[in-house]
Amino acid sequence: MVGSPVLFIAVPLLAAFLIPLLGMVWKESIRILPGLVLLYMLVLAITLLEQVMHTGTIVEILAGWKPPWGINLVFSPFTGILATLMILMGFIIWIYSYRFKNVDFEEAKKYFILFMMLVTGSVGIVLTGDIFNQFVFIEITSISAYALTAFYKHRDSAEASFKYLMVGSLSSMFLLLAIILIYSQLGTLNMADIASKAHLMKPEFKILAVIFFIVGLGIEAEIFPLNGWVPDAYAQAPGPVGAAFAGIVVKAGVYALIRIIFTLFDVSGTHQFLIVIGLTTMIISEMAAIRQDRLKRMLAYSSLGQMGLVLVAFGIGTEEGIFAAMFLLINHAIGKSLLFLSGSYLVYNSADKYISETNGMGKFLPVTSFLFALGALAVVGMPPFSGFWGKFFMMSAAAHANMLLIIALILSVSLIELVYYFRVINRIYFYKKESHITPKKPTVNAVIAMATLGVIILIIGFYPDLISGYLHQASQALLDKGKYIQDVLSTGQLLTH
Amino acid sequence: MKMKKILVISLLAVFGVYLAEVLFKLDFGRQFFQQGVKDFYLITSPIKLQVANTVTAIVVNFRGFDTLGEVTVLFLATTAMGSILYKGRHQLGERTVLFSGSRIVTTGSRLLFPAIILLGAYVFIHGHLTPGGGFQGGVIIATGFLLMLMAYADYTVSHVVLSVVESLAGITFATIGLLGMLHGGSFLQDFLPNGSLNDLLSGGIIPIIYIAVGFKVGAELTGLIYTALNEKD
Repeated sequence: MVGSPVLFIAVPLLAAFLIPLLGMVWKESIRILPGLVLLYMLVLAITLLEQVMHTGTIVEILAGWKPPWGINLVFSPFTGILATLMILMGFIIWIYSYRFKNVDFEEAKKYFILFMMLVTGSVGIVLTGDIFNQFVFIEITSISAYALTAFYKHRDSAEASFKYLMVGSLSSMFLLLAIILIYSQLGTLNMADIASKAHLMKPEFKILAVIFFIVGLGIEAEIFPLNGWVPDAYAQAPGPVGAAFAGIVVKAGVYALIRIIFTLFDVSGTHQFLIVIGLTTMIISEMAAIRQDRLKRMLAYSSLGQMGLVLVAFGIGTEEGIFAAMFLLINHAIGKSLLFLSGSYLVYNSADKYISETNGMGKFLPVTSFLFALGALAVVGMPPFSGFWGKFFMMSAAAHANMLLIIALILSVSLIELVYYFRVINRIYFYKKESHITPKKPTVNAVIAMATLGVIILIIGFYPDLISGYLHQASQALLDKGKYIQDVLSTGQLLTH
Repeated sequence: MKMKKILVISLLAVFGVYLAEVLFKLDFGRQFFQQGVKDFYLITSPIKLQVANTVTAIVVNFRGFDTLGEVTVLFLATTAMGSILYKGRHQLGERTVLFSGSRIVTTGSRLLFPAIILLGAYVFIHGHLTPGGGFQGGVIIATGFLLMLMAYADYTVSHVVLSVVESLAGITFATIGLLGMLHGGSFLQDFLPNGSLNDLLSGGIIPIIYIAVGFKVGAELTGLIYTALNEKD
């Protein structure tokens, strides 16, 4: 017994409060402690995941009150895989940014606290079984994200962060309204309890609550009309933070949206809505991506497009569709983070981060360029890399559900992706270097982090069966709403003294 | 351009009318809250937990995990503001309060300051008995420091002390949670004797948590005010 799910929240919180104290005594501890905490969380997550696959969902009650009176955490195959993925990405990005702000102690301390809380908040969003608690974790994640976006003062990051802050506050307001509506009608905040009573809600209130949730969580999940803040925030944030947004934060937003649509309410038409909104997001973002002349903005738009694809896969709604969605989600987290991490070294010393400034980097930064190309191939979905399987499963799911138009759209969008990623790779390898750019060699820890991601891409690409067993269980867990309700509501005992 | 604005406004109006239509049906005050968890809270907190203030019982005991999260949100907000407004010691800007208040203002503030701190402490120590609690008490304490900072041009608070207080309070909260896990089996479980209703020492872990929260909120808001006051331009 290594621990229970609540330690995913309690341990990093304790560490976050400890870091300022430890930093006064031993300066290096502010870098080491977050890594140790993330490593512990990773070990815990993998152990619990293994246990959950065999013995079924773990529901942990907090403060001694069983649901619906208290708050509970749910570590099911579905939430467990997402939490493990987030913690893994957090750990790898921590390795990458170990030397971040090496000379400036105060700034480094703040970076590591905020980064650790960004991961913890996202894990909390996924694990919690209580809708208001989820709101609290969304706040924790968002506030860390705003601050991390504005971290570099010499860029236009303040503007990006302010935009994000405004949109994010709007999102919080809608979420709170939705929660109030539900509580006023059902008198409960527990997700399982809401799911079992949702049919008692008057339809007009139910639809309004769903609309509020979709708007509020849509901002976090970056769906089409609500994602104007994304390219700015991704491009202006420090490199590792951009990777964390793509690899961790947006996953939490998508999870929250999916949980509302699949488990909480069964309003008809929401699945079709997911498909339509996902396709719109995908097509518009990819069209925007191909027009970008700055590397990080291109990556940000591409990330939006990929998340649109994930939403479409969820929207298909069959077990196969959800399986494909999970596969795409994992591939996107790994591939896009690798692109952000290696991409920030390719344009390290250029002020405007133009794509043209990556010219000829293949000769000067061979490892980084190779890993960037690997990430690009994985994201586009070239066979033997992990992305291929994601898109393959997705198309077969669409074919079985008789949604042939989706297949055509995915293929044409993949073509667009191919064009703009190959344009960059072409520049990296076959153009002459711009004379005013001095390449920056990546640090050893950054190379280790990027190489780890590259190896994961290859392993999943060659042996997709390693994770597909877990993903099948995860998609069953998401679809089986009755079991979720029963698991949560039948656990725990009341405080007796 | 003009057409676009008119279109946006009329769309918003349609949405607003629909919202008002639905929200007016909510019937606040009449058939509201017929069912749900509230009865359990109302009955349990005075009888089982011996807590007079049900709101506090919900905030710290039933939903203590949320409160831990909210405390973290505040902690992150101060960290975030510190990281955005942070300047090295040599770049520290001048105070926006450039001169001290008149003698009446400074003397009056000095007299009021201990009274404000006392009121703040009273509010968070009695959080489980009377309205108020850690958050409110902490804010009152921070207003005391705000008064001093406004009245005196050269009044300083130590960032190191604030940071230590903040950290220790946070650690106390999280540690109590973990102790609950060791004693009762679940995080933040009440493991102390509940005492009897309306006693100062009652309500199990609630007073301890609220005292920690009071210190934490007080230190954090004071730090926020101090950072903002020292910001140049």
